[in-house]
Formats: sequence, C-alpha cells, structure tokens
Amino acid sequence: MAIRDEIPPGTLEMLILKTLASQRELHGFEIADAIERRSGDVLHVEEGSLYPALQRMLIKGWLVGEWGRTAENRRARYYKLTPAGRKQLDAELSSYRRVSVAIDRILKPA
Amino acid sequence: MRRVFRIPFARGHIAREVDDELSFHLEMRAQRLIAAGWTPDAARREALRQFGDVDGVRQDCLVMDEQRERAMHRANVIGELQQDIAYALRTLRRNFGFTAVIVSALALGIGANTAIFSLIDAVLVRSLPVSHPEQLVAIGDPTRVGSMSSGSPRTDLLSYPLFRDLRDQNHVFSGVLASGRTDRLDVRIEGTSGEFEHPRGRFVSGNYFSLLGVPAFAGRTFDASADAVLGASPIATISYGYWTRRFHNDPSAIGRTILVNGTKITIVGVTPPSFSGEIVGSSTDMWLPITMYDVLRPNQKVLDDRLTSWILVLGRLQPGVTLTQAKQRVSELLKRDIVANANPQIAKAFLDRGAKYYVSSGSKGFSRVRNTFQAPLLTLMIGVGLLLCIICANVANLLLARAIARGREMAVRLALGASRSRLVRQLLTESAILALLSAAVGLLVAWWGSRALLALASDGAPMSINLGTDVSVLAFTLGVSVLAVALFGVVPALRASRVDLAAAMRAQSPSVAGSASGMRGERLPLAKLLIAGQVALSVVLLIGAAMLVRSLRNVQAVDVGMDRDHLVLVDLDIGSRGYHGERLANAVHSLRDRVATVPGVSAVTFSENGIFSGTESSTTLEIPGFTARTPDDTTVAYDQVGPDYATAIGAKLIAGRDLRSSDEPMLPRVVLANQSFAKFYFPGQNAVGKYLHFNDSVAVQIVGIVADTRDHDLEGQPARRLYFPYVHADDPKNLGEPGSLRLEVRTVGDPSAVVQRIRRAVVSVDPSLPIDGVDPLPTLMRQSIREERLVARLASAFGAFALLLAAIGLYGVMTYAITRRTGEIGLRVALGAQRGDVVRMVLFDALRLVGFGLVIGLPVALMSTRLLRTQLHGVDSADPVSIVVAVGVLVSSAVVAVLLPALRAARVSPIVALRAE
Repeated sequence: MAIRDEIPPGTLEMLILKTLASQRELHGFEIADAIERRSGDVLHVEEGSLYPALQRMLIKGWLVGEWGRTAENRRARYYKLTPAGRKQLDAELSSYRRVSVAIDRILKPA
Repeated sequence: MRRVFRIPFARGHIAREVDDELSFHLEMRAQRLIAAGWTPDAARREALRQFGDVDGVRQDCLVMDEQRERAMHRANVIGELQQDIAYALRTLRRNFGFTAVIVSALALGIGANTAIFSLIDAVLVRSLPVSHPEQLVAIGDPTRVGSMSSGSPRTDLLSYPLFRDLRDQNHVFSGVLASGRTDRLDVRIEGTSGEFEHPRGRFVSGNYFSLLGVPAFAGRTFDASADAVLGASPIATISYGYWTRRFHNDPSAIGRTILVNGTKITIVGVTPPSFSGEIVGSSTDMWLPITMYDVLRPNQKVLDDRLTSWILVLGRLQPGVTLTQAKQRVSELLKRDIVANANPQIAKAFLDRGAKYYVSSGSKGFSRVRNTFQAPLLTLMIGVGLLLCIICANVANLLLARAIARGREMAVRLALGASRSRLVRQLLTESAILALLSAAVGLLVAWWGSRALLALASDGAPMSINLGTDVSVLAFTLGVSVLAVALFGVVPALRASRVDLAAAMRAQSPSVAGSASGMRGERLPLAKLLIAGQVALSVVLLIGAAMLVRSLRNVQAVDVGMDRDHLVLVDLDIGSRGYHGERLANAVHSLRDRVATVPGVSAVTFSENGIFSGTESSTTLEIPGFTARTPDDTTVAYDQVGPDYATAIGAKLIAGRDLRSSDEPMLPRVVLANQSFAKFYFPGQNAVGKYLHFNDSVAVQIVGIVADTRDHDLEGQPARRLYFPYVHADDPKNLGEPGSLRLEVRTVGDPSAVVQRIRRAVVSVDPSLPIDGVDPLPTLMRQSIREERLVARLASAFGAFALLLAAIGLYGVMTYAITRRTGEIGLRVALGAQRGDVVRMVLFDALRLVGFGLVIGLPVALMSTRLLRTQLHGVDSADPVSIVVAVGVLVSSAVVAVLLPALRAARVSPIVALRAE
C-alpha cells in the first residue's frame, strides 16, 4: 500500500468544490474517491472530515444535496455545486495560488 | 431514473438521513475492499477502522443537518408567504370592485370602533401627561371643576383657608396643589383691536407646575413664591396652544403685559405642547396664581372666606403611603379643621350631613365630561361593536360566495399538489390583507370620525379633548382588525379549501352552479346562518336605537312648567363691570325697563342663575318642626330673581302671590317656594306664611308657591327650590351680591325674531356691558340634552346601517338560493303552481330565516337593553313599542329585499328551467 498524505487543513473544501465543478453531481463516497484518484492516490480524504465538511458547505449554500439512487439502485445523497459554490471555488483558487506562489518563492534556493 | 423528493422537517427523518448516508459510505468502502480480495467480515471491520470515529462524525452531521433544515424551512415559509401576499394582491387588484366594497365596509366598521375607542381612551382611560400620575390623589369631587359654593362648608370642594391648612398640616403628601375656576376672563392684549377675548383660565397654587412635574417650554412657570402674599403676583403662564393661537409662537410674548379683568398681568412662560392642564375635556389657556383671585374678581372676596368652597386639590403621595391611608387621614384632617373653624351651628349642620370627604385617585385629573359621557360612550362602544360584527358577517358571506366561485381554482391547485393548509393560508393571507387595508383606511375614518363626534358632542359648549392617536389606540385598531379576520376570514377559508376534487374537475364551466357542485356539503346553511346572525345583531341595535329615540322624545316633550316657546335668555356679566349696591339695582332696573320697550316683548324679569344656564346655587336651611333623615334633606336649590318672576316666565302660581317690586328692600323678608319644596317640608299643609331659618337664624317668610319648573334639567326630579329677590338692600342669608345677571324675556311671537332687537336694547343701556349670550330657551334646552341627542342620533345611524347590510345580505343569499332552485321552481310551475305560490314560497323561505334571527336576537336585545336603563327616560327597558317598531322595520325591509328575487323566481319559465338542469 502506497504512502498517502493527509489533506492539508483548509484545503478540503476547495478540493470538494473543484471535484464537483467538473462533475454534474456526486455522492460522498464518489467525492472522496475522485479526490484520491485525481491526486494520484497521494491524498487521502478522511471520512471523519468529509461529511461534516459537506454539511458545512450545504449550510453555506455552496452545495445542494438531493437524495437519489445509484446505478445499483441504492439510496445515496448526491451533491451539486450552486452558483455561490462556483464563486467560492474561484475565490479559494486565486487565494490558494497567491499563497502557493509566495511559499514557492520562499522555498526556492536563493 | 432518479426521483427527487422533498425532505420533510422532522428530527427522526434527519437522523435517518445521516445514518443512511454514513452507512452507504461504509458499505461502498467495504465493497471496494471485498473486490480487492478481503473477506466480507474483515472488509467491514477495515472500513470502520478507516472511517474512524463514526459516532462523533454522526453527531456533528446531525447537528449541522438540523440547523440547515430549520433554515430551509424558514426560507420556505417566508417564500410561501411572499408568494401568498403577491398572489393575494394580484387577486384583490383584479377584483377591484369587490375589494373596494369590502374594504370600505370594514374600514367603516373599524374606523367607527377606533373613533369611539379613542374618545373613551381620552376621556375615561388615559392618565394625565405629567410625571408619575399614579401618585396623584384628588381631593374634592373631580367633576366639579367650575363650581363655587358659598354659605356653608362642603365635602366636594375646599375653601382657600381649608386648602392652606391641608397643605401645611398633612403628613401623607409630598405636596398638594389647588385649582379653582376663574369664571370668564376678559382679556385685552395691547396692540390688538381692543375687543375682549375670553381664554379658558384656571387659578392655581404656585407649586402647581413643580408638583405636576411640568417644565416651562419657554420662559418660566411660576412657583410657590407666588403664594406668599395675597394679590402680589400679577403673572400668568400660558399654554402652548394659546401661545400658538394668539401669539403665533412669538417668543416676545413672554414678558408682555396683558389686561385681565382690568388688571395688568405679565406673561412669564409657556407650558409644553403635551400639557393642557389637569382638566380632561377642557384644556386650559392660562394659569393665574390663586392668590390673585380677589384682585381679578373684585366682587367676590373668597381667599379669606372659609364658607366659600371652590377649590379642587391634587396631592402627590409620599413614598410608602397608600391611597386608602391618605383617604382616611385627609378626611379626618379636613373634618377637624372645618369643625374647629366654623361657628357651632354650621359645624353641627356639617357633621349632621355626614362630613364624608371626596378623596380618590387623581391620576386622570379632573373632568366634568367624564361623568356625562361615560354611559353614552360605553353605549356607543357596544353599538359600534355590534355593527362591526354585522359587517364581518356580511364580508364573510361575500368571501364565501367568492370562494365558491373559485371552487375550480382551488380544485386545480389541490390537483397540482398544493396542500389544504397551504390553500387555507393563502385565503387567510387575502383576508389579512383586506383587514390591514381596511385598518389603514379605518384609521383615517377614525381620525375624522372622532373629531366629528367631538364637534357634535360639543354643540354649544366647546370641548377640547386631546385626541392624539397614541399607542393604545393603534393597538386597539390592530386588535380589532385581527379579530375581524378571525371573524370573517376563517370560516370561508376552511370551507373553500374543502373542495371535492373529482366533482369540481368534472364541472365544465367555472359558473356558480358548476363550481358549487365541487363543494362538499351544502353551502347555503352556512350563508343562511350568517344572515340569521346579522338579523339577530341588527334587531339588538334597532331595538336599542328605538328606545333611545323614544326616550329622547320623552325628554324633549317634558312639561317644563313655563312658556318654553316664547322665552329668550340674555346672559350678562354684570359682576365684571363693578356694579355695586344702588348702582347695581339701578342698572338692573334700567336694563329691564329698556328691554321691555322692545317691540314683540311682552314681559321682562331677571335672575342670577337664569334658566338652562348650567349655573345653579344651593343652600342648607332649617325649618321648625322638620327633622332631616338624610344629609340632603336640608339642601335646597335657590335663585335670586326679579319682581313678577313666576308670571313673566309663564310659571303657574299655585298659592299666595308672586314677588313684587315692593319686596326688594327685603323688609319684611320674603321668599317664593316651588311646589316640590312645599310638599317636601310642609306635606298636607299650606306652606304660604311659613318661616324658614338659615345659618344665622334669620327667619324668611314664604309668600307664594309656584308650580315646579325645569330650570336646568329636562331629566330627573325637579329640585326643591326657593326664589329670593335679586335686589335686596338687606341680606338675610348672606347671599352676597349676585355676580351675574340674566334677563328672562317673554315674547309675543317667535323668540328668535327679537334676539337682535334685544341685543341692541342692552347695548343702548351700557355699551361696555359684556353680553355672554342672547338665546331662545329651546336652543338652551337642546344644548342641555346634547349627549342624549348625540347617542340617539348615532344609535339610529348604526341601526340603519345594520339594517341595510342585513337587507343586502338577505337579497344576495335569496337570489343565490333561487338560482339554485330554478329547476325545482320550473317543475312546480310546470305542475301548475301559480306565480303567487312561487312568490309566497320564496318569501316564506326568507322570513323563516329572519324569524330564526329574531328568535336569537330578541332575548339578547332584552338582556342588553337593560344596560341602557339609566339612560332611558320614561321608556321601559323592555319597551313593547320599541320592540314592535324594530321588528316591524326589520321584517318589512326583509320583505322588500327579497321581493325582487321572489318576483324573478315567479317569472321562471318551466322550459328554460328544465333545460338548465
């Protein structure tokens, strides 16, 4: 089993938003799965953080949740991005990029 | 295919959703592991391990989920409400006529209720706008704001020396203030036309403003130093209203000197706009230090006189003292003080009369109108309350009819998934909007109505009541509106939402008949019930109104015992002209002689109090051989009158003789008595020749008995009354010089025709003599019963309106019923029924409804008219004439209202009718 890193604090919500931005709607397990897969299995989404984060984002109005059926006809809650969520994603991305460029500059050998 | 469904708001559901979501996740994880070769058991354990603290996550999610649900629910409700309001406004606007009718009817009802309530609030409920009104205690009868009584101590008013003793010796008040009448003030302001003006004044003690906690708005108020020396404070504080009216808020008015009754007085300040004195119903323009009384009214020396009572007192309770304690202590103090300072005979007479002082809460100040208007206002309140109920019943019927017309709309909305409670909410929103619109218009109606009422009630005697719309009035209006929604909105809404889906959809047209078939149950019984209710309420109002009108007729037709249609009263302020002794006698005689020469005048006499002037004098007396049973037994009314008084006013002389010019020296001392007096003190005897004794034991002989006249009042029992000569060189009863003069002028023809000539005659004798009024007696009488006239008039208006509404309602319901029965009627006609039969059938149907209403209404009416008993004169509270008239009017209006639909029914052609089926 490969070594997997925890997701840095504060970035989980951005990753969820980004994941949902490229898909129409996903349930919780698919979101966790998608993040892990697209990170090349480097990042591991902890369930204990994922579901409370989803709830928080529902309250903030970034996501909407609707119950539906999976392909295997199982009940699951599907999450979808709202326009407010899309705006939030843009905001978080640009702030993240500013921060990471700055950190890169510091880490770059002089 | 996925189906989205609503998440209901309930704790159980949320927990289940969270559990579902988490267990779904665990199963997916386990499946993944099984696919990777784990055994199912191991996979499940590993999934749980990877997840970590399942319970903790579950709790977190649960809390957040609930929060979210609640927010969603709120948003939902608000969203729906917004929808409902928008939809309601659209619907109401589309049916503009319908909306206008309902809003104007409701606005009238709400407005009338608010108008009467705001008067009740202002006159009966509201406290004085002063600091801590609840600490105030009133000493003296709060209704006697304009009284002055001399000759003996009283329990309803204080003399100035008595007030001073109370102020200096009591231990219950932190302060007491005195307030007394000024009578008419003749004020002249320099730089103006020179005409006298007559602001409403009040003599008050110096601490008046500080005790009430009323600061000066401009300048200063006067203070306790004004009480220090009698006659040494020629200053005045004026009200904001007077400052605006008279000085246009000019600051230079402060410090100006004005002439008051010929004396120079300096205006020192203005009170705040909110304060208009301690007398409710009569706002004060000008406050003068009480110590200026004897200077400003030189005819009367009252400040040192313990036998002249004219002062009302407000005391502010010391902390910790209760009203009951104050009552007891004040009563004791005043009684002790009076007994200690009066001569033994007066003291004994005072104690014999009970010596029970008036002490009551002073938070609402003093008021003369409070007493006279209490019963009328409460009667009117009940009347407008009934009227509002009738209006609500009518509006309910209209809404019900429309709800039926909207049956299809309801059915469609139900079919599209709206819940029944949603429909009810929608309809109630419409009703609430109607009520709020009506309340807004109603406030305008009330604003106008309360002022109009006040103007009507003030007929001839200006009354000023602060009608400023305050919180309690607004709260009342809102409360009434909410009640109205409950009354007219709920039943139709519930009924309308009870639509039978299938039946309503089947109906092809949205016409009345078609949609009505969609209603479960019959609509008419409810509508008919509302009509019967309206009839019941109307009959209560009509009977009450009929009784009040009949009572008023009785009062107006009462035998006043004099020539009421040929008398003119001339009111002259002789006191302010400084006439004394011989000059007074000469002036009075020359006035009488001059007016007697006016063409159309057949006789002239004069008196101090006059007839229907509102001024009355009373005294106590002793009669040898008569023992008093109650304190009132020795009290009699009196007037001082001119020669030939009884003959001149057309009163009947029963025994003895009238007063003559030769009685004026009062030697021997003589007096005229009325019949009530003679019967009371000398039953079964000839009272002529008997002697009466007054406080100083001087005997006065009765020379004549005159039939009772109604001098001041059309209601109640005539008072026991004496008539002393107006001009009296000797003063056996210490009457003092009369302060006013009224001429009673008997005319040959219409009294109003000679009013101007009489006025000119008076002016020709003394152009500077102030004339307060020249009025035919019927005018004065009408003014004396203005409350009765007002109440009877308004009650009749309410009754007529109620009748109209009931008739309209009946017309509507019967028209609808006949439409529904067209087929049946057609069948009857086809089977040989005559037109007369059809009309009779419809009429009978309607009258059964009216009869039902009467059966409910009559007992209620009989119970509620008992409340009117004190206001009825010569009319029983179960007066059969009023009942028959009211029922007759109601039934005949019902017949008229139903006749049109009945005749229409009679013209139904059997073929058309049967085709319609």
